[in-house]
Amino acid sequence: MLEKFQEKYANKNKQFVLINKVGKVLESDQILFPVLRGSTIFELHPFFECLYTVIEDEKKANFYGVHILFKEKMFILDISAIPEKEGLLLILEDLTEHYNAYQKITQKRNESVIKTELTVLKNEELQERERFKNSFIQNFSHELRNPLTSITAIFDILSDTALTNEQNQMLNFVKESNNNLRLMLEDTLSIGMIDAGKLQIQERVFDLQKFFELLQFTYKAKANKKGLKFESSWDDKIPKVAEGDRLRLFQVLTNLLDNAVKYTKKGSIRLEIKLNQKWANTANLRFQITDSGVGISEENRVAIFESFKQLSSDVHNKGVGLGLTIAKKLLELMGSEIKMQSTVGEGSSFYFDLNVKYPLFETTPSTISKNRNKLNNKSNQVDQVKFKILLVEDDTYVQTTLFKLLLNTNKFKIDLAYDGALVLQDVISNSYDLILMDVNLPNLNGVQITKLIRDFPFKNIKNIPIIGLTANAYQENIQQCLEAGMQKVLIKPFEKEELVCTIFEILK
Amino acid sequence: MRKSKKIVVLGHFGVGKTSLIRRFVTDTFSDKYKVTIGVHITKKLVEISAENKMSLILWDLEGTDDIVSIRNSYLLGTHGAVFVFDASRPSTFQHLNEDLKIIREKISEVPLMVVGNKLDLVDKNLLKNVFEEHGINANYLTSAKTGDGVNQLFLNLATLLASDA
Repeated sequence: MLEKFQEKYANKNKQFVLINKVGKVLESDQILFPVLRGSTIFELHPFFECLYTVIEDEKKANFYGVHILFKEKMFILDISAIPEKEGLLLILEDLTEHYNAYQKITQKRNESVIKTELTVLKNEELQERERFKNSFIQNFSHELRNPLTSITAIFDILSDTALTNEQNQMLNFVKESNNNLRLMLEDTLSIGMIDAGKLQIQERVFDLQKFFELLQFTYKAKANKKGLKFESSWDDKIPKVAEGDRLRLFQVLTNLLDNAVKYTKKGSIRLEIKLNQKWANTANLRFQITDSGVGISEENRVAIFESFKQLSSDVHNKGVGLGLTIAKKLLELMGSEIKMQSTVGEGSSFYFDLNVKYPLFETTPSTISKNRNKLNNKSNQVDQVKFKILLVEDDTYVQTTLFKLLLNTNKFKIDLAYDGALVLQDVISNSYDLILMDVNLPNLNGVQITKLIRDFPFKNIKNIPIIGLTANAYQENIQQCLEAGMQKVLIKPFEKEELVCTIFEILK
Repeated sequence: MRKSKKIVVLGHFGVGKTSLIRRFVTDTFSDKYKVTIGVHITKKLVEISAENKMSLILWDLEGTDDIVSIRNSYLLGTHGAVFVFDASRPSTFQHLNEDLKIIREKISEVPLMVVGNKLDLVDKNLLKNVFEEHGINANYLTSAKTGDGVNQLFLNLATLLASDA
């Protein structure tokens, strides 16, 4: 009986089994494994129990890749169950080799897909953490800027009052602490901005020699105060005026110099700037800071550039351990790299080479100085008149302290506003010479109000100079303010001198 | 006379279907991922109560990218189904409701359990938010690695099948 089926489906990898409608084996060849006549197919392997349904349905069914273990050998079979008048014909085709090969390919493919997916998820998680960190730093520094502005303003107001020597001394402590706090805030914010990719190098022409002299003056005083010798060297071949990001270069060098002062107990600190090479309009400069401090061991030379890492456990060492990280990252943004040499107990030397552009026709420091004098003269001219200023600020403490500070100069009449939505009415009803506009205001923010003022049809209103005051130091925020029509943006906290000078500069 | 119940275990690849069955049947676990091709079938006797025992025939189906491609013959005569997803990989559950709809069309009248596996790899609190976001309602959260929820899943399914019988 079986021969007729074998003729039809003959294959060495195929086994034919005929069962009746209750699963009893009527006949089987033994090509793959022995199936005894009279035995019940359902007992051979749990797979065969599904044949109940095929028998009931009387419809052909194909099962692919069925794994059946027989005498420790795994068969992977395609099984066809074909209803016949005797019951059910089973054709078991051994495709183990084929499926094993397929398994290997699928294994590689699936592993790769899963690995990629998990990597993407991990990256997303890390990015999310990074976003949270940056947003936290941004909010945190923003929140700190307003109270710092008040403290700075109060210091300026108090300085103008009659104080005893003791009070003056205490006030100086307050100023120093406030400055330290401000620097730490700047460092924290800078690292957040660098990590978020929001910090852009702003190249502008600046007086490089004056820049050097400022560092020289500041750190000579700091070093001397600690009983250290301060040496400096300026190569005369260096262009006096250069094009670069003065602020960020200053940040790098002050971080390195602050560390030198911090970690040197005796001996000296040296600041050196020399010319490596000079081309048509570009010079390569070597900036080097050398100290006779504690030095850095070989194993710590990578760790010192990591965020929030301080090698010294001395609690008197102020700072948050970001200085070198910031210096390293800022230099990378400027296309340079920080290098160091150090011997434990003898001292360290940090240096970097930086390309700076310089104008072919240098604006000499004396020209800059002349310009500055001109500005001062203009300031004196405007000193004679009292200017009417609208101070828009929703933080009561900042508003009060800035109000007093400006009033004490005896040069301004100040009106106050705190709600963005009411500012426009004030501007229409009064004729102001200038508006000091906080950016983050309720209802309408400073940028929106500035745009409304600039769109106003009357010239006397649309042209009122506006200085933005913001606690958000991100470049994109400042850019937004300037694009809206503000003349200048001051970042909180600022000092009296900076504020007053800016006002006069705009009013001139 | 049939004495056992067929349960198909299905879902996307790499979600831990084989590991869940292995944990339930042999109480073992391997970290090594081995792709299932076709179908592996195992049988386990389950004691629902002292006098009520049931054999579960577990069909461990090859994982797919696309649930539509599951062969209908594998689902023939099934009494229950377990749809497994990997709680640590959103791609295995982000279209869960569509996947379940497709399965329901194929096997409409049998109990279907939705299981989030690899619980050991995820934060349960975060998972709650993720599930809410995707509108997911899992019947069980399991870990084949630690064994959490595995026996409970199959025993409850067996009990359900016994009560249906």
